[in-house]
Amino acid sequence: MSEGTHETPDPTEAPTERVAAPTTAVPTDDLTYFDIVWTQFKKNKVSYFSLYALAFLFLLAIFAPVVSSTHPFVWTTAEGTSFPWFEGLFNRRYYENPVDTFFNLVMVFGLPLLIAFLLIVKRLGKTMPEKRPRRTKMRRIGQTLIGVFAISFVAILAKPYEAEYVDYPTMQAQAEADGQAVSATYPLFKFDARQTTFPSLEGPSSEHILGVDRSKRDVAVRILFGTRVSLTIGFIAVAIYVTIGILLGATAGFFGGRVDMGIQRMIEITMALPTFFVILTLVAFLEEPSIFHIMLIIGLVRWTGVARLVRGEFLRLRNLDFVTAAVSLGYSRRRIIFEQILPNALGPVLVAATFGVASAILVESTLSFLGLGDLSAPSWGQTLDEGYKSGAWHLILAPGFAIFITVSLLNLVGEGLRDALDPKLRK
Amino acid sequence: MAGYIIKRILLMIPTFFVISLLVFVVLNFAPGNPGADILGAGDGGQSANLAGQQNESYRLFKQQFNLDKPILLNTRFNLSVADVTAVAENDVNLAGDVSPGDRIDAQEQIDNWGKYAIPALVDILQNHPERRVRSYAALRLASGGQRPLLNQYSGKRLTPEEKVINNALYAENNTIRQWTFGPSDSEAKELDVRGKWVEWFETNHDRWDYSSTGTKVSILLFDTRFAKYWQNLLKLDFGVSHVDKRPVLATVLSKLKYSITLSFTSVILVYLLSVPLGIWSAVKQNSAADRVVTVVLFMMYSLPSFFVGVFLLNLLTRGTPWQAFPTSGFESLDVSQMTTLQYLGDVVWHIALPILCLSYAALAVLSRYARTGLLDVIRADYIRTARAKGLPESIVIMKHAARNGMIPIITLLATLLPTLIGGSVVVEVIFGIPGMGLFMFDSITIRDYNAVMAVLLISSSLTLVGMLLADLAYVLVDPRITFD
Repeated sequence: MSEGTHETPDPTEAPTERVAAPTTAVPTDDLTYFDIVWTQFKKNKVSYFSLYALAFLFLLAIFAPVVSSTHPFVWTTAEGTSFPWFEGLFNRRYYENPVDTFFNLVMVFGLPLLIAFLLIVKRLGKTMPEKRPRRTKMRRIGQTLIGVFAISFVAILAKPYEAEYVDYPTMQAQAEADGQAVSATYPLFKFDARQTTFPSLEGPSSEHILGVDRSKRDVAVRILFGTRVSLTIGFIAVAIYVTIGILLGATAGFFGGRVDMGIQRMIEITMALPTFFVILTLVAFLEEPSIFHIMLIIGLVRWTGVARLVRGEFLRLRNLDFVTAAVSLGYSRRRIIFEQILPNALGPVLVAATFGVASAILVESTLSFLGLGDLSAPSWGQTLDEGYKSGAWHLILAPGFAIFITVSLLNLVGEGLRDALDPKLRK
Repeated sequence: MAGYIIKRILLMIPTFFVISLLVFVVLNFAPGNPGADILGAGDGGQSANLAGQQNESYRLFKQQFNLDKPILLNTRFNLSVADVTAVAENDVNLAGDVSPGDRIDAQEQIDNWGKYAIPALVDILQNHPERRVRSYAALRLASGGQRPLLNQYSGKRLTPEEKVINNALYAENNTIRQWTFGPSDSEAKELDVRGKWVEWFETNHDRWDYSSTGTKVSILLFDTRFAKYWQNLLKLDFGVSHVDKRPVLATVLSKLKYSITLSFTSVILVYLLSVPLGIWSAVKQNSAADRVVTVVLFMMYSLPSFFVGVFLLNLLTRGTPWQAFPTSGFESLDVSQMTTLQYLGDVVWHIALPILCLSYAALAVLSRYARTGLLDVIRADYIRTARAKGLPESIVIMKHAARNGMIPIITLLATLLPTLIGGSVVVEVIFGIPGMGLFMFDSITIRDYNAVMAVLLISSSLTLVGMLLADLAYVLVDPRITFD
């Protein structure tokens, strides 16, 4: 690691840093707040493991088509060789849901970008020994790459590629019956989430490892693709309400007075609404709720907690010396709010957001359990609902455990984060 | 203290008003037409609405639930002859190229305008060059000119005076209903009808005089759906259900019995278990037993209640593999033949599983609160003092530490109030308990606006009260906190 350089203390770093820093072995003035929290977080083995498990869950969601698709990787007939699996990835008639398009794009484009980013970071570590300028540069590169990814996603959504759906397994069976030589390499499972051709309510077997549901669809594949839906809903809904909460909370806490009064009333009104009833009503009154409606509704109803947290933090921080310093330096209000105060207020928000993702996933699966969700997207709650109605054990246990494991992992990470951020618990 | 409470209660009024406004606007702007559902024409069968008989009942239905009125602001006093003429021409398809959808919209529009379109319609009847439109205007006058009877929808008994008024109204409505002419009728008949309408319009002129500012403002703000709803709300009248036509409030009150039984039992159970459990695991902090309890409670907290509900239901009630509990309901069918004790046993047998589902997650949360609450105080100086002066450990914990450590748990109770009354949708749906949650769910799926409104408003106001009680509870149990 680099030698500690004598730079002026960054006013954005909370005073807690100086209290906690001497107890660790790394040179003190090279430690950012993030480093402290991360070191602290790693000490909690269960939460640390959960974070990796969560990352694995994401990989599972991203690589779902590699595990299961009706399109073979390689398809060789007398006419030649084609690669239907790759062609199918962005076919909007095969993957109808934009969520699938997003995850497929992450698989073929996003992950290579991420790896490239990590390689650049590694190189930067050698060429730029000083931590803070390196971090700034990393952040800039990261933002550029995210921008590139976002633009390509929007481009794909704006001009969808559409091609006829081809049922390769049936075609292969037919061709073989006709005596033609066909060779095809399929993923692990030859099914997709919408296929309704299996014996209804069949229990787990070697072909369908989690059985078949009432609507004759393969449960394992639905649960696998349901991971995509659940994680997307959880994270985007929380992103929406964290954004709203931060904006309103920061405004209220920073400006105080009448603005604060007004926003406080807004918070009070939204808090008095029975959140789950309201979400239920709104979703039920939409004629065809899509998962994007559900995210938006969750996001619009649940922001009060974050707003209150941020407001409290701002009330506490705005009278501290570093804010006075920023004001006397003539910084603009926007810069003071977003660059000086906000980074110090983000800790508790991050914790609330982690627990929030878990509860948003629960809300979504409850909605689809009650039959009010997006019927076109595979969802864990939907499968559980089929289990409730049919009484088939495999339809109850499989989605139940999927929800339980995801929610537990998120809660464990949240707990670890909360402890890591709490200066009282630092040893 | 009293001042603070009064201030908070006064603040609740505007808050509640805005909540009602929000909920009302959202429900009313939501896509879907309640009337169409009632008529069984929700499946795109708009032609059913057009058929005369059904059309009339649809109009009355809208009148009954104020659906013919604008939602928030009524500017119909400004209605010009040109507006009405345009819509009327659309409805009779004068240009010949109006799509069926537009015609239905036009008809709906004229229906909704009701009495506000009368002056314009009389004008059209007199001056429009096209006979079809004039005939149409007469037809609309004959339905729009009718006045609603007193207490038509409330089902109350009428006083003799009211009966007299109603009879007069009924007679008038019946008369003007005849004043129409069709394409086959003669010129003379048309002139006769027109003369009658003009005379009627002149005699009743002040019914359509919207020129004064006061009238305009009162129409703008008070002749709207929202204002009518609030007029009833002030009388604690939440309207009648679109479905069974019974007052919503009565239905809600009859549902309360089930939800409250369920939630009170589970809350008492949770407090009885979680406080000792929390204290016990705080005292044994970091022991193997404490760790096991922590892990188990954490898992309970992360288990979704609908999964646990379905799991228990399938395991214990459906005979796969056991059939130890009833599958659904709050009581058996033959309760009337039971003794009180038997009835009690029957209810317990029915609600045991739902209560388990309602309790386990709250148990996990509350016992964590109890544990951290106690851990917060157990290192305080006064506890060390208590030990130093030789008090037995049990007294130190139970009398000195627990009293302060349980403050957060007590205040949590107040915030539970809305859940106590509101019940749980998921658990009630799974176990078929006919409480508030199931009622809410059913009302949502059949779009019973008044019922949904009522449930949302009642639980919002309970939340407001709960928040106030929670703040008061802080002060009552912790003398360090004051409102001054």
